[in-house]
Amino acid sequence: MRLMRASEIIKRPVVTMRGDDIAQVKDIIYAAHGGAVGGFTLAGRGIFAGPMKLGLSWHAVVALGADAVMISDESALEATSVVFDAAASGRGGGGDVLGSQVLTDSGVDLGIVIDVIIAASETVGGQCDVVGYEIEASEALGTKGTKLLIPLPDTLAASGEHLMVPASAKDFVSHDLAGFGAAVTAFRAQLEGAL
Amino acid sequence: MQWWAWLVIAVAVIVLLVGAVLAVQARRRRGGVIIDRSRRANRPTGGSA
Repeated sequence: MRLMRASEIIKRPVVTMRGDDIAQVKDIIYAAHGGAVGGFTLAGRGIFAGPMKLGLSWHAVVALGADAVMISDESALEATSVVFDAAASGRGGGGDVLGSQVLTDSGVDLGIVIDVIIAASETVGGQCDVVGYEIEASEALGTKGTKLLIPLPDTLAASGEHLMVPASAKDFVSHDLAGFGAAVTAFRAQLEGAL
Repeated sequence: MQWWAWLVIAVAVIVLLVGAVLAVQARRRRGGVIIDRSRRANRPTGGSA
């Protein structure tokens, strides 16, 4: 699995196997239950192009490369409402997590989400999951204002403005992506052991 | 008013309009990470990192 920040994927061009640059990634959509990335909403290319009515489901992605998202052809795009599940279409059932407050289940504010960490499989058709948040730390972590990576459990919890994590998550924070994968694995193993 | 005063006003209006259009476009194209509470995991739960 390769770890990357969501901000690295946003604005990445969507290119067909024929080499046509047909769109760019606008939003990343992921499931609250399990953190699996379901797909992307898209924007047109060019400064005056707005959001597109078509989206891209993760299963239609051939490769999530460093410089482009590769798809077979334009027929891989689907209506955005298909990419979103019905309850979340129009964002009624979800919301942008960037800027949301992260709270532990004991009610401690850990900070504000400034980015999302995604683990993508290197193989075609592999899984792509949200595994952590990059937060601007609060006083509770002892390093107010610094950027920290906090791992997520397999089952996420979120309301409109708050994202909930187990209190033990603050014991597995990292300062950079190197070693964060191991922190996620250790955190989830600790949670499973606690059950 | 002098002709150059009208020119300055016209240029200022054009700059403001272009700035407003670019700001609106930047807002429309701004990306995010959206949590979809209706979507269920399509795999067994377990470590994935």
